[in-house]
Amino acid sequence: MSTIDLLREAIRAKLPDLDMVLAWGGDDPLRASPLFIRTESDLENLAAPHLYVSNLAVNLYSLRSKKIGLVVKGCDSRSVIQLLKEGLIARPSLYIFGLPCEGVVDAAKINREIPDAGRATGLAVRSGRVMVQTPENEHILDLDAVLADRCLRCRYPNPLIYDQLIGEAIPVGEIPDLYQDLDEFEALSLDARHDFWMETMRRCVRCYACRNACPLCVCKAHCVADSREPHWLTLETNVSQKWFFQVLHSMHLAGRCTECGECERACPMGLPILLMRRKLNREIRELFGYEAGLDLMTTPPLSTFSIEEENIAEREL
Amino acid sequence: MRIGVFVCHCGTNIAGTVDCAAVAAAAQQFPEVVLAVDTPYACSEPGQRAIIEAIEQKGLNGVVVASCTPRMHEATFRRTVERAGLNRYMFEMANIREHVSWVGRDKKLNTFKATDLVRIAVEKLRYNRPLTAKSFAVNKRVLVIGAGVAGIQAALDCADGGLETIVVERTSTVGGKMAKLDKTFPTVDCSVCVLGPKMVDLAQHRKIKLYAMSEIADLSGYVGNFEVSIRRKATYVDWNKCTGCGLCADKCPSRKAPDHFNELVGRTTAISIPFPQAIPKKASIDASSCLHFLKDRCGVCAKVCPVEAIDFEQQDEVVKESVGAVVVATGFDLLDIRRFGQYGGGRFPDVVTSLQYERMLSASGPTGGHLKCPSDGREPKSVVFISCVGSRDRSMDRAICSGFCCMYTAKQAILTKSHVPDCETHVFYMDIRAPGKGYDEFIRRAQEEYRTNYVRGRVSSVYPKNGRLAVRGADTLLGTQTEVMADLVVLAVGAGAAEGSRDLAEKLRISYDAYGFFMESHPKLKPVETNTAGVFLAGACQGPKDIPASVAMGSAAAGKVMALFSKERLESDPQVAQVNAVRCVGCLKCLRTCPFGAIQEVQARDGSTKAQVIESVCQGCGVCTVTCTDRAIELQHFTDNQLLAEVNYLCRSWMEKSPA
Ligand SMILES: Cc1cc2nc3c(=O)[nH]c(=O)nc-3n(C[C@H](O)[C@H](O)[C@H](O)COP(=O)(O)OP(=O)(O)OC[C@H]3O[C@@H](n4cnc5c(N)ncnc54)[C@H](O)[C@@H]3O)c2cc1C
Ligand code: SF4
Ligand code: SF4
Ligand code: SF4
Repeated sequence: MSTIDLLREAIRAKLPDLDMVLAWGGDDPLRASPLFIRTESDLENLAAPHLYVSNLAVNLYSLRSKKIGLVVKGCDSRSVIQLLKEGLIARPSLYIFGLPCEGVVDAAKINREIPDAGRATGLAVRSGRVMVQTPENEHILDLDAVLADRCLRCRYPNPLIYDQLIGEAIPVGEIPDLYQDLDEFEALSLDARHDFWMETMRRCVRCYACRNACPLCVCKAHCVADSREPHWLTLETNVSQKWFFQVLHSMHLAGRCTECGECERACPMGLPILLMRRKLNREIRELFGYEAGLDLMTTPPLSTFSIEEENIAEREL
Repeated sequence: MRIGVFVCHCGTNIAGTVDCAAVAAAAQQFPEVVLAVDTPYACSEPGQRAIIEAIEQKGLNGVVVASCTPRMHEATFRRTVERAGLNRYMFEMANIREHVSWVGRDKKLNTFKATDLVRIAVEKLRYNRPLTAKSFAVNKRVLVIGAGVAGIQAALDCADGGLETIVVERTSTVGGKMAKLDKTFPTVDCSVCVLGPKMVDLAQHRKIKLYAMSEIADLSGYVGNFEVSIRRKATYVDWNKCTGCGLCADKCPSRKAPDHFNELVGRTTAISIPFPQAIPKKASIDASSCLHFLKDRCGVCAKVCPVEAIDFEQQDEVVKESVGAVVVATGFDLLDIRRFGQYGGGRFPDVVTSLQYERMLSASGPTGGHLKCPSDGREPKSVVFISCVGSRDRSMDRAICSGFCCMYTAKQAILTKSHVPDCETHVFYMDIRAPGKGYDEFIRRAQEEYRTNYVRGRVSSVYPKNGRLAVRGADTLLGTQTEVMADLVVLAVGAGAAEGSRDLAEKLRISYDAYGFFMESHPKLKPVETNTAGVFLAGACQGPKDIPASVAMGSAAAGKVMALFSKERLESDPQVAQVNAVRCVGCLKCLRTCPFGAIQEVQARDGSTKAQVIESVCQGCGVCTVTCTDRAIELQHFTDNQLLAEVNYLCRSWMEKSPA
């Protein structure tokens, strides 16, 4: 059986015990959208695995009073773990279908490669190649060329938490350099980096799409970005306020962000804002040896208190 | 709001390098400021009166004083504004002394910075709200941790003052180091003869409950209402039955147990009573030497004990007590002698610590008061004392002076002569520190009357030579190298915090310095208090000090406890964290980070989880507030809006009008 069939059958079997199952579906051959499966007939709309781009964990906090089935890829599973660790959702009300993931395709990249992608009628992936069917042509692309960026540096293709694994776990290959992009960026002069962020923040429209797409941003309606009491940000649309918001967002995710990349994907302006979160994540790794969303048993470093930190020299002894 | 600003000169302390009139003139222009003046001494009686009059005449409802640190006078000025009818939290202080005049010399820049600080205080004050304290009942029982001379004194004074007093001592007897000393400077009177009666008083006082062989397992709660768990370590002897007759120790066949009371000079039995005057005089078994525990045989003590007190099945036990205040008097411990290999420490048996030497001098010690070299038991004819061993030594990261070594070294030199009159005594020293009453005279006696050879200089090495020890060092007065032959070398090993002090500090939530000594709240004005309300310090646990100073501090701590307990109810500080339940998402990160256990989980009416601050436990540290991402938990009097007002002004002013 193909993966999609395995998944469909697994969901069908569990559906009676659950309020709903979150997966991906829709008619667009290049993109799938979230699919809320409540009845068996909804299962017909299930999309193919290479389109499972979005991170469905973003819905968990608001649905926490329901009994939810959730399909996760490796990266999504880290968000689930982090939410569980932070006590934001409860394990018993969750059923996890774990999906070993070969990577998902980035529709924007396909659009760049194929002029008539807008009229695509089908997409199939076979042994490292992507076949895109349009009314006139069949295009064959290298999978690597159209994979989402985060898939290129993926270290956890297999879910780290699940109740049921769909298909076989994927052997994990050579782990690529984690922070090469950050190293390159930090090699730039201070002025160059400053200018880069000035320009990036100038373009930000402060729509909060990044925040809303973040599976760990659970404050939502009470986010300090919107709040008047306390009044952290004004409504001025200047660079300093927008930058302040981005820094706040990054700070609030330090040691929590699993780098699923949803913020960046959601940004209508295409701003490279994941870089800022990754910078803080690397700091956390170096200071506390901690990575978010890997292990249910460890405690996030910023959720504890100790008088002396091992790697922070607060005073000389 | 109607704000008044008072810029203090502090004599020339501030006015010397800050143009106070200019600061006041600038402040006059700040939003909502209706009055801004400079004043020679804001804290003086006329200074405070001026503030009160201004509040009344100008109808002020908020006051800023720009002067010294809030640690110094915030309480003073809060009372001032309160006397004029304002809520005491409608007051802000700008520190233009420690933060400005004392740290910068450029008057123009200082004036600029002082003006900024005043402006920041005004900005914050505009967001201040009146806060009111809640009151709660006080449990008038006190816990004393450590029963050295300081702890004993504190406990006796508290108990004499009518307070129920719990004393927790880690070892099997009270007395601490003083019980181990032979004689004490500067009077050379028998140490245990002076201390003994106090130890007996402690044991017999109706108001005192003593837990020996016990440690603090946990302390929770807050000033006036602490809950303490005390771990009573197993002694394998039922102390309710034991009469201290000592028959068990006489018959115990395991005679090689380490003798901790005698500082490991000599050996003792596996079951023992540390010394004749021990309080409580009860036997305990050292399981690591007892044949019953090691080899599952023997049991002689159980057979000879006339009251059947031996109980091999005994386990550690945790008991709970509730108290309203804590006196910490855990003293000090000498550094490990093995760290001083260059002086032969840990390498040659005839190199001993000062405390071991006290035991060797003591009539109740392992040698019965006869001076003998540990290596072969011969009587020493030359004793060399090396002072500042691990004290005032930057190469060891120990810049501190251990305080009492100069004095006890002189004492030990004198005592050496009275034990062995024809024994030579040499002291290698750096400087002599003898500032106490009668102390310098005492040193002179050692030098002149008792012919002790004082050599100023450091020792470079101690090594065996012809069956004795050669001590080689510099004589910096003569500018030469010198070598002295010794039968016995006594190291005045530096004092460090008592073993386990850091752990205890974490349990009590008090701070400690780089050496592990507990931190007082203010080095001059609050030497007995800690930064945790209701926890006081006594004796050498705060830093090395001699017996008179330790005793004085014991009494001082008792005085503080009694002053605290003179009130029926205490006021809680309203500057605590508060949860805005509407914003709270119930992640409980605040609960996990709070170092004081001041947050509890509650259920809202809709069943959702929320955090709640236990006001009387919260210390207002603010750790939770930085953890909460949606700012649902805020510190009263330090709310986000108050701090943002400061920062917003500061950043703007910095960009707009930097003087450089
Ligand atoms: C060799 C030597 C000679 C000295 N001679 C003199 C002298 O002649 N005259 C003089 O004035 N001073 C002298 N001193 C200094 C004197 O020893 C100290 O001033 C005095 O002991 C300080 O008393 P204390 O109660 O603060 O501490 P300590 O005597 O150290 O007592 C502390 C007590 O607390 C207990 N304790 C420690 N930790 C815990 C814990 N976690 N829980 C429970 N209990 C605990 C210990 O077991 C001990 O009983 C001498 C010191 C030395 C080293
Ligand atoms: S999604 Fe993009 S444009 Fe919108 S707030 Fe975030 S960074 Fe700015
Ligand atoms: S950290 Fe904030 S949101 Fe989380 S439980 Fe505490 S107060 Fe509530
Ligand atoms: S301010 Fe917050 S972290 Fe600090 S003691 Fe109070 S509740 Fe605990």
